Amino acid sequence: MTTLNVDSRGTACPGPITDLIRAYKKAQNGDLIVLVANDPGAVPDSKAWCERTKNEFVGSKDVESAFEITIRVTGKKA
Amino acid sequence: MKNIAIIGSGAGGLITSSKLAKDLSKEIKNGEVTITLFDKKREQEFQPGYLEVAFRGTDPSKIRRPVKKLVSSGVKMIYDNVEKVDLADRYVKTEGSSEKINYDYIIISTGSSPDYDQIDGLKQANMDFHTDAYNASLIYNRISSIKSGKIVVGIGGLPYKCPPSPNESAFMLDEYFRKKGIRDDVEIVYITPFTRIYSAESINEVIEPMYERRDIESITAFNTDTVDDEKKEITSLEGETLKYDYLFLTPPHKPAGFLKGSDMSDEDGWVKVDKKDLHITTYDNGFAIGDTTNIPISKAGVEAHLEGVVVANNIAAEITGTEQKIKFTGRTQCSMETGFHKATFVVGTYDRPVEKIEPSTMNYMEKKVMEKIYWGSLHGHYEWLFKYHFKKDYFEK
Ligand SMILES: Cc1cc2nc3c(=O)[nH]c(=O)nc-3n(C[C@H](O)[C@H](O)[C@H](O)COP(=O)(O)OP(=O)(O)OC[C@H]3O[C@@H](n4cnc5c(N)ncnc54)[C@H](O)[C@@H]3O)c2cc1C
Repeated sequence: MTTLNVDSRGTACPGPITDLIRAYKKAQNGDLIVLVANDPGAVPDSKAWCERTKNEFVGSKDVESAFEITIRVTGKKA
Repeated sequence: MKNIAIIGSGAGGLITSSKLAKDLSKEIKNGEVTITLFDKKREQEFQPGYLEVAFRGTDPSKIRRPVKKLVSSGVKMIYDNVEKVDLADRYVKTEGSSEKINYDYIIISTGSSPDYDQIDGLKQANMDFHTDAYNASLIYNRISSIKSGKIVVGIGGLPYKCPPSPNESAFMLDEYFRKKGIRDDVEIVYITPFTRIYSAESINEVIEPMYERRDIESITAFNTDTVDDEKKEITSLEGETLKYDYLFLTPPHKPAGFLKGSDMSDEDGWVKVDKKDLHITTYDNGFAIGDTTNIPISKAGVEAHLEGVVVANNIAAEITGTEQKIKFTGRTQCSMETGFHKATFVVGTYDRPVEKIEPSTMNYMEKKVMEKIYWGSLHGHYEWLFKYHFKKDYFEK
């Protein structure tokens, strides 16, 4: 299992989701993607994206005027 | 003597060289400054015109111009591609020569292009309108013979240039087949890895109802993984499959090859720059503009242009000692044609989210004006108009 850290601070919609999707393409099931963004839209957008792609939205927390969003990759075909 | 090297004679490289040549004309005449532009292309194409070529049958020759007509006086053109930039020792090397060409300032504006290697099977199956005008013209030949079937368009991977262009292809195909009177026999499906038909919510609110009205099916959160042209089937990363008869997907894009693995670039080769003054974060004497940067805004010509103006201004200010430095505001302005002579624009800055702009004929006309003035704008003939149009977004002090 690998953790992919994605820093999307300073980017606004669709920046963080673009970064998330690009990281997801390189990830494998079981990996964690930790996305840091200061665009408030990044949290609901990541949640919606996880629901649609059957990946797991582990949670989000505030860190230094940004949001840290953790996603577990579970949706990829075997 | 100050030598300025600009790599790439596209939308960004040309305006940068033109503005530098204008601002430093005295110094160039006095032999104190040289400006050299590198690119092996001898013709440039108006890339937004690829949509017209692909979906309206415009002749590719109408959107091409010889580079020699686009290069401003005072700029030396070297028709060769650069294969190495050494930022530490300040030299470039071209593919066709072993000579090290020294510079004092460098601007990398090598754009982006489709990267078919990222998606197995896509090359064999797909026709795109992002590679060049010739490839776009092949799409028009193909659609001219379509009588019925399922066309899949949309975003094959990220990043790519001109965010609205895949949406435009769906609208323009809809218009084409409606005008031909066979729209009921042709299914148009739009796929995207985003959770909305257009990634920014404000524009999505405008176009989602239009997709419904125009009977364009949309499949969101679809991450294209592989394409099997024999089965005529796309498989997503999640294992879903989608059948097609004709595929005109926008492939993910890549930067120029020499940038991958370089210490100025991120792991995919996009050049890491400061998003306001465009200097390469690892070196102060180098800049990058346009599609090749990793800045978090769309890859589009307007951005490349405004960034070029900022960089040219700042280099000229440093050389002439005026020190009147300016910054890029992150202004975007991508037109999205919605068919039947209407268009909207994707407009925002670093500080302002994308606006909601309803499609209108006025917007369409504005887009047409841009087509008319494009070549002249590369010489810097329309900066007065851009200054007026973009107002405080033109640059920031
Ligand atoms: C279908 C479509 C529609 C579009 N619509 C719009 C629109 O409505 N509005 C908008 O603003 N933008 C639009 N664009 C995007 C716009 O055309 C590009 O974003 C813009 O051209 C980027 O400018 P650039 O200078 O970064 O790159 P480019 O204009 O692509 O120029 C890059 C240049 O670098 C050269 N080069 C590459 N590698 C090397 C090397 N190693 N050495 C030397 N030279 C090299 C290339 O030959 C090329 O000439 C559209 C693009 C497409 C494909």
